[in-house]
Amino acid sequence: MEPLILLLHGLPLLSALLTHLLSPLLGQRAVRISVSFSVLTFVAAAVLLGYAVSGAAGLQVALGPSWGLLLFDPLSALMALVVSGISLIVHLYAVRYMAEEAGYGRFFALLDLMTAVLLLMVAAGDLITLLVAWHLVGVLLYLLLGHDTGSHSAYRYGFWTFFTYRIGDLPLLLAAALLYHAYGTWSLPEIFAHISSDPDILTPFGLPLAETVAVLLAVAAFARSAQFLLHTWLPYTMEGPTPVSALMHAGIVNAGGFLINRFAPVFVHTGDVLHWLFVVGLVTAVIGSVLMLTQNDVKKALGYSTMGQMGFMIMECGVGAFSLAIYHLIAHGVFKGTLFLGAGGVIREARGDDGVPKDPLYKFVVERRPARRPMPWMLMAAITLAVPVTILIAAHWLVAQDFFQKQGAIVLLFFGWVTGAQLLFSTYHTRTENLGRLVALIVASFTVVVLGYAVISHAFDVFLYPDPVFRAQIYAAADIDILWFDILVGVMTTVIVLGWVLTYYGERRGSRGASRVNRLWMNFYALISREFYVTDLYAWVARSVLAGAARLNVWLRWA
Amino acid sequence: MSELSLLIVGLFLPLFPLSMVFNVVFSRVRAPLPRGVLLLAWPHLGLLLLGLLDVAIPDWVAVWALATAALYALRALAVREVGIWAGFMATSAWALLWVPLLADASDFALRYDALGFSAPLVLLALLIATLERRFGAAFTSLYAGLGRAMPRFAGVLVAVVLAVIATPLFPGFFTLLTTIVTASPGVALALAGVWLLWSWAGARLIQGLIVGADGTEPVADIGLAATWAYAAALVGLVLAGVSLTGGLL
Repeated sequence: MEPLILLLHGLPLLSALLTHLLSPLLGQRAVRISVSFSVLTFVAAAVLLGYAVSGAAGLQVALGPSWGLLLFDPLSALMALVVSGISLIVHLYAVRYMAEEAGYGRFFALLDLMTAVLLLMVAAGDLITLLVAWHLVGVLLYLLLGHDTGSHSAYRYGFWTFFTYRIGDLPLLLAAALLYHAYGTWSLPEIFAHISSDPDILTPFGLPLAETVAVLLAVAAFARSAQFLLHTWLPYTMEGPTPVSALMHAGIVNAGGFLINRFAPVFVHTGDVLHWLFVVGLVTAVIGSVLMLTQNDVKKALGYSTMGQMGFMIMECGVGAFSLAIYHLIAHGVFKGTLFLGAGGVIREARGDDGVPKDPLYKFVVERRPARRPMPWMLMAAITLAVPVTILIAAHWLVAQDFFQKQGAIVLLFFGWVTGAQLLFSTYHTRTENLGRLVALIVASFTVVVLGYAVISHAFDVFLYPDPVFRAQIYAAADIDILWFDILVGVMTTVIVLGWVLTYYGERRGSRGASRVNRLWMNFYALISREFYVTDLYAWVARSVLAGAARLNVWLRWA
Repeated sequence: MSELSLLIVGLFLPLFPLSMVFNVVFSRVRAPLPRGVLLLAWPHLGLLLLGLLDVAIPDWVAVWALATAALYALRALAVREVGIWAGFMATSAWALLWVPLLADASDFALRYDALGFSAPLVLLALLIATLERRFGAAFTSLYAGLGRAMPRFAGVLVAVVLAVIATPLFPGFFTLLTTIVTASPGVALALAGVWLLWSWAGARLIQGLIVGADGTEPVADIGLAATWAYAAALVGLVLAGVSLTGGLL
């Protein structure tokens, strides 16, 4: 097994070296080396995951005496397959996509290095290895985003990414320093064993160690996973090559969820930090989704969609559903990677369209078709509210009959209900010939998705955290007082249902609504279109710092 | 006498405003070889004097040193002359040597740290000389993008700047890591802030030199032999970083 683990980590490094060195000799054919090695890396990762599923995980491979420890556990085996799989797809896509770009060989060498570093990050068994890999991901992403050295904007936004990642590196560094201070070891398994045996240890300045480290880790995860206020880099990095966008949105941005899972033995001894994760994730999910809806650029809309999804992933961690976050990041990686790689085709198709919407008016006037009769509203409302909750409860009941005892599961159930209901609600206004058929299709696909989600997430839970006591501890750590929980669920339900009712009546009234409300709405829209002025604020701060530095240089005569 | 000794050492392990002396000297020396010698020797002179003069170092020097490091890291953000940038980065890095010094680090570790900070700057001094030979001056945003005009030079420059700003696996990374781990939380936070400023300054330098469209004038890139020599030096730095790990072993 050990040679296979070393092979998994060595193959991309060797590929980067060979591709770079042989590019001048072989020209564009050198990338075949890179693609072949990517296939081999993926195969190695798949075999290792097979071993892990069969129960052979739990191995450690030491590359050096004090650091360079590689873990082979369910989490690292699963993440290695995800990383190598996405990397392989991006490699294959980039063969043709990047063929006419300058620095073709360099691009593939950097892609291989990025794969190697990501594989190192997911398998890191000690703090130094983790810090090295965590830091290098940001550096390599900066170089990949700035592949086109002729583009100032690509570098400008690449720098935003690099700088935000560096901001995220520092809390991880401080967390590592605190853990090393406390336990005198870099090894993660040893640190986790110490924390489990004595979770109430204090930091040198008197704060609880587990809580302090968890806060620092959470901030590092927030920067990497574009949580609100540390998100501005994500939607603006579209100037980089599309394969890099796909790699970034499908893989790298998910690192926050991975980090929280890796440090689950620390988070399990915290309570408030998990609630804080939930709030930050919720705010990010809502703001990311709102910003996505106002974009007119397909790639930027995808960028904000990623932000919303990352918010949801962090939120899942906040309710104690750690393994669900891993499933979410894999599912998101697959669908977002597909969307990015298909974005070019969508843009091309849109350019060939005349842009006239095929709405009922068009069909009535141009195609001479009769206007459809809308479905009774009350029937739609009943379907909207009842169907999703029935499907969700049935699916969860199927996989774990005690799910009602976990607050986190109920919160996620609630979000599933809102999402399903929203989907059905929106079909009422969908301009389709056969609304009944559409609703039936939506209900069927929703059932498949929910069942799949419930069954697979349960399987992930058992695979990643085989100890049922530990699984229960994570959910318990995220719990809040039951009275407050019930009140919050009640309030949220009321707010959402009221929102739907208001939307319904607002649409029935059409443009006859009060002008004051319209003005307020337009002001809100303006605020969103400027992305809450967060980017402007950061740009102003950066300009001020640079101006201050220049003034200092003049005063001190450049010495 | 002790205060005077401290001030003398403060010239070589820079403490502002004594640090200005090094930057004036460094800007006057233009040839790459003397610049390299200056970069290698300056902090070692400080460490040597520290041993000879038997200076008692008060704890507040750490604050002074951190402020000096932060000041020069901040000022490096707004510098366009690459030579001045190298001088500021050297000053900022060497000032940080006071932190392990106050934590009773061994003489070997301190010399290793100083060398780890200086060696990438020596490579940068050589690159500056290459730029000055071709363009007459080494300024950011002065020429069209070197990434396209001089791809080998640009590649080496990026790697050297990454080494200067203490990117893993270069020695500076392990030095900073060790210093942060052994420091008090407040000092560790300040060190992290200085490191962040270095990253910003490094990215600005890279962008100012290598990004941009092709220039109209053809420029000769560095030779293959020179590229291999730089690569060997950088690999040597990485090996030194990994094997010695900044005293973490």
